[in-house]
Amino acid sequence: MSIVAKETIEVIAQSIGINNLSDDAALSLAPDVEYRMREILQEAVKCMRHSRRTVLTTDDVDGALNLRNVEPVYGFTSGGPLQFKRAIGHRDLFYIDDRDVDLKEVIEAPLPKAPLDTRVVCHWLAIEGVQPAIPENAPVGVIAAAPNGNTYEQKDELPVDIKLPVKHVLSRELQFYFDKITELTLRKSDSALFKEALVSLATDSGLHPLVPYFTFFVADEVSRGLNDYSLLFALMRVVWSLLQNPHIHIEPYLHQLMPSVVTCLVSKKLGNRIADNHWELRDFTAKLVASICKRFGHVYNTLQTRLTKTLLNALLDPKRSLTQHYGAIQGLAALGPNVVRLLILPNLEPYLRLLEPELLLEKQKNEMKRYEAWRVYGALLRAAGQGIYERLKIFPPLPSPSGHAIWKSKDKVVTAVPNKRKANMEPLEDEPALKKIAADGPIGSLVSANSLSSVTTLALSSQNDAGSSEKMAKRIGKDGKMLKKSVILNQIWKDDLDSGHTLVTLFELLGEGILSFIPSPEMSLFL
Amino acid sequence: MENMQAVNNFVAAYLKKKGFKEAERLLEDLQNKDSAPIDFHNDPELAKFIHRFSQSEDDVARYQDGYSKLRSWTYSSLDLYKHELLRVLYPVFIHSFMDMVAKGHLQEARTFFNTFREDHELMHSRDLQKLEGVLSQSHLEEMEFARSLRQSKVNIKICQYSYDLLLQYLHKTQSTAMLGVINEHINFQVSSGQPSSLSDDAEVVTLIGSFQDAANQINQKEIHWGLLEDSLEERMEKAGSLLSDSEKTEEENKEGDVDETKKRSVESGKQGASTKKLKKEKGLNATAKSARTEASTTPAAPRVKSKLPLPLMSTEVEQSILEDLRNRVQLSSVLLPSVSFYTFLNTHNGLNCSSISQDGSLVAGGFSDSSLKVWDMAKMGQQGGSSILQAENDSTSSEHVVGQNGGKRSYTLFQGHSGPVHSATFSPLGDFILSSSADTTIRLWSTKLNANLVCYKGHNYPVWDVQFSPAGHYFASASHDRTARIWSMDRIQPLRIMAGHLSDVDCVQWHANCNYIATGSSDKTVRLWDVQNGECIRIFIGHRSMILSLAMSPDGRYMASGDEDGMIMMWDISSGRCITPLMGHTSCVWTLAFSCEGSLLASGSADCAVKLWDVTTSAKVPRNEEKSGNTIRLRLLKTLATKSTPVYSLQFSRRNLLFAAGALSKNM
Repeated sequence: MSIVAKETIEVIAQSIGINNLSDDAALSLAPDVEYRMREILQEAVKCMRHSRRTVLTTDDVDGALNLRNVEPVYGFTSGGPLQFKRAIGHRDLFYIDDRDVDLKEVIEAPLPKAPLDTRVVCHWLAIEGVQPAIPENAPVGVIAAAPNGNTYEQKDELPVDIKLPVKHVLSRELQFYFDKITELTLRKSDSALFKEALVSLATDSGLHPLVPYFTFFVADEVSRGLNDYSLLFALMRVVWSLLQNPHIHIEPYLHQLMPSVVTCLVSKKLGNRIADNHWELRDFTAKLVASICKRFGHVYNTLQTRLTKTLLNALLDPKRSLTQHYGAIQGLAALGPNVVRLLILPNLEPYLRLLEPELLLEKQKNEMKRYEAWRVYGALLRAAGQGIYERLKIFPPLPSPSGHAIWKSKDKVVTAVPNKRKANMEPLEDEPALKKIAADGPIGSLVSANSLSSVTTLALSSQNDAGSSEKMAKRIGKDGKMLKKSVILNQIWKDDLDSGHTLVTLFELLGEGILSFIPSPEMSLFL
Repeated sequence: MENMQAVNNFVAAYLKKKGFKEAERLLEDLQNKDSAPIDFHNDPELAKFIHRFSQSEDDVARYQDGYSKLRSWTYSSLDLYKHELLRVLYPVFIHSFMDMVAKGHLQEARTFFNTFREDHELMHSRDLQKLEGVLSQSHLEEMEFARSLRQSKVNIKICQYSYDLLLQYLHKTQSTAMLGVINEHINFQVSSGQPSSLSDDAEVVTLIGSFQDAANQINQKEIHWGLLEDSLEERMEKAGSLLSDSEKTEEENKEGDVDETKKRSVESGKQGASTKKLKKEKGLNATAKSARTEASTTPAAPRVKSKLPLPLMSTEVEQSILEDLRNRVQLSSVLLPSVSFYTFLNTHNGLNCSSISQDGSLVAGGFSDSSLKVWDMAKMGQQGGSSILQAENDSTSSEHVVGQNGGKRSYTLFQGHSGPVHSATFSPLGDFILSSSADTTIRLWSTKLNANLVCYKGHNYPVWDVQFSPAGHYFASASHDRTARIWSMDRIQPLRIMAGHLSDVDCVQWHANCNYIATGSSDKTVRLWDVQNGECIRIFIGHRSMILSLAMSPDGRYMASGDEDGMIMMWDISSGRCITPLMGHTSCVWTLAFSCEGSLLASGSADCAVKLWDVTTSAKVPRNEEKSGNTIRLRLLKTLATKSTPVYSLQFSRRNLLFAAGALSKNM
């Protein structure tokens, strides 16, 4: 008759040491227990209401027990609502998962982060009855604006008057803001005001309703203005600023933005004047692409793969122009050393073979083309060098293992380097046009001297290495802890060996230029 | 013949004893009408009637049977009268249940309860939850709610024809158990004419018990709801009319105003954007002026004398208030207020209450860890420089207050309570804070000294609410011990104790003229008390759950109350009747506030929204109720949704800027 079963009462009685509780007693206790429970709950709900909450917590029950002058139940306080689990095999039996806690674990565990202190922040919920579109307010307007923007873009492929739909969903201020920004981007992208506008784009909250319009604006202008270098640069800057803005959720619009951004990276022709430094634009866009991948790569896991595929296709297609190749290399390089190692290095050799004729004065008479080829060569060099530099940099500066690795790799170098290098060096020296590329020229000649000396010191270093590895063995014997380290070292050796191999191939392909990317401590080992 | 008489007397006495007044009356009628003595032996009907009575005194099945029959009869009755008859079912149901419990048939009572509870779940779920726990006679005695139900009668308004139908049915079916319950616990107010409309339902269903009569009586008492004589507003109006006569002086004054407001804004700096805000208010000032002059021509609220000795106001304070009044934005249904929202972050579910000072510059939060924290929003903007100053102040403060440790903390921490702080209130001038706690005490803190001044002990149980009077100095508290108390700051003993509620007093609010306080209670009533003699002078019945918030209109004519279910009711204080329920919130209404000139009501709720209601049209409704029945619920002007932040408190500044506060809760 009561929701508390007779058996429950008996079990509870037994748990406190009353074994001979009569049935009658249990039966008459049960309803009373239920009544008391209800009473406590009623008081607990009052406590909950007066704590301005809608979820009942253990604190409220303790409060209710206090109200009835009953000792509260200790040990159940918790900040939030409790997590109940359903007992297997029972439909409506729940329990709190109360794990055994190892005291040692608790003591040894690092201290948890101190909870943040209470703060009060202030914002306008409404101004004269109208809610401003700021991130602190519930996004009423945003929900309405976003789908509108989407449908609008899908419907209208042709450039039409953008202002028309804007009027319906945007406040007058936002509309004005949009007009102003687009005007600045189109006409006065070199003014100081435009810089201010970019800062505003990067920091202002409440711009969210404008994102679809900006996305469309960028896509539209990029497709129309491929010949206008400064416009393209301004547009990319706008995209960059939008990406910087922490108050904007740009993810849904990325798929519309990416094509225009990639266009600015690998398009055949950007700008129509020779003075236009489209290389700079490509570099900037590469950085932009990399930042997008870094920020949204985990949300859209296909983003980076699709991007690299596009870029690699552009790179490996011999029919594409050199400018496109350059963009692709820069884009890939910006994505990080891993991408470089995985995608560029394996293709380095065949590509260089393609590039070689373009580099030579004898074969490529067009100076412009040759310049472009050298540019590409520089980009390749940089990408490969950066990849290898990152690789080497992560090694702990332990003298013995890396020395060992280099010693090993050098064995092969000994055979490979002299003739190969000479093959490469000769055109380098023959080529006075090389001097035009200030970055490459001096380094190339400088390093060539270095590498010559490296060959001579080779025998010496290998002797040194033999000595150091012996030392190493002794050290392992000395200290038990070193054992663990040796495992790591083994791994590093292996990695190092790999990189050693890559280094060698790189060296073969690119010649001395690559040496400038090897960090100085490594270099000194090398020597 | 003599035998006959004896039988008649016996029957009459029996009916009297059992309290079946209805049957008794009928019998008397019968006797009087045809004066022919009832032939007991020859009237098989009556014989059977009496026989049944004596025979099955404790037959519980009669209740179940009788109720289910009555129920099916009611459901199949005429549509026109159905809703009136349905009202009868609920009291019959709960009293049948309690009768069965009282007679000890617990098992049957439980099955009976469970069989039919669904019918009443919609309207009375909370009562049913309480009654569900009644499992023995002793519980009936112990439980306040059950006891009050047992002791009292329910008033049900019913039209003549429905009443006749019901009686006919009861007599025809001889369901004596039902007849008994109805006679014992229901008091029919039979009205001639058409059955009342469905919309009145809400008024009738509240089962408060015997005090329905008492309440009616109480509500007859005289009340002077007018505003205080010689209040600043009144003086303002007079002064305003004088000023408008001489344009020159006004202009001079205005220039002075500008300077002064500028100075003030720099000083108090109502959170950063104040200069902008002030300008905006200035712009509106012109329109407000004209509106005000119009308003002054309409009959103003009557003026009353204060029954309390009120504290004197310094001229400086008076000046600044007058200044505010002059710059007040005139709000209406077309001109909504600006709302500034203070969000508490990282409260870890510990914020129990919040309070905002009259000018919005101070925000207080009461926490479940017994602490009271006060933020100075004016200093918020200029954090860097102020820290040194703060540190200097600290050295002088008492040990109760842990001040800002070199500017690390953005608030002043008041420690002293030993239980969760359930309420906090700023004095009208913002120089004092009162906080009430589960440790049964109320503490007075000074925001100037950052110290605890007084600890008021008097309540025996947690103090749920405390409120300063509009004039300051006096304050009222409400507690779990079912009393509300009036205190003055200079005495540690309460001045008045208001006892009468049947359950916790959950909230308290002062009337604009300081002569009355209103209290809302878990017994679902709101009461109005005379501060002078401590008497209850109004009972407002109509809510269906615990009352959480109260607000008084600035003209003293209306009161709004909000409950646990999200219902807000607007009451006419003089008549004690509900003008209209305001429906829209879906969860607890934590706070209510009238705008300064009384045209808008703002409500804040656990459903993360601030709603603005038009008071002026809702007050007009009773006049043209008959004409436009359906427009009653069209007065919600605006819903301002917050970002998962339940709204804990609302406060209109004197210039009609609305401040709201709440704690961001992520698991909502």
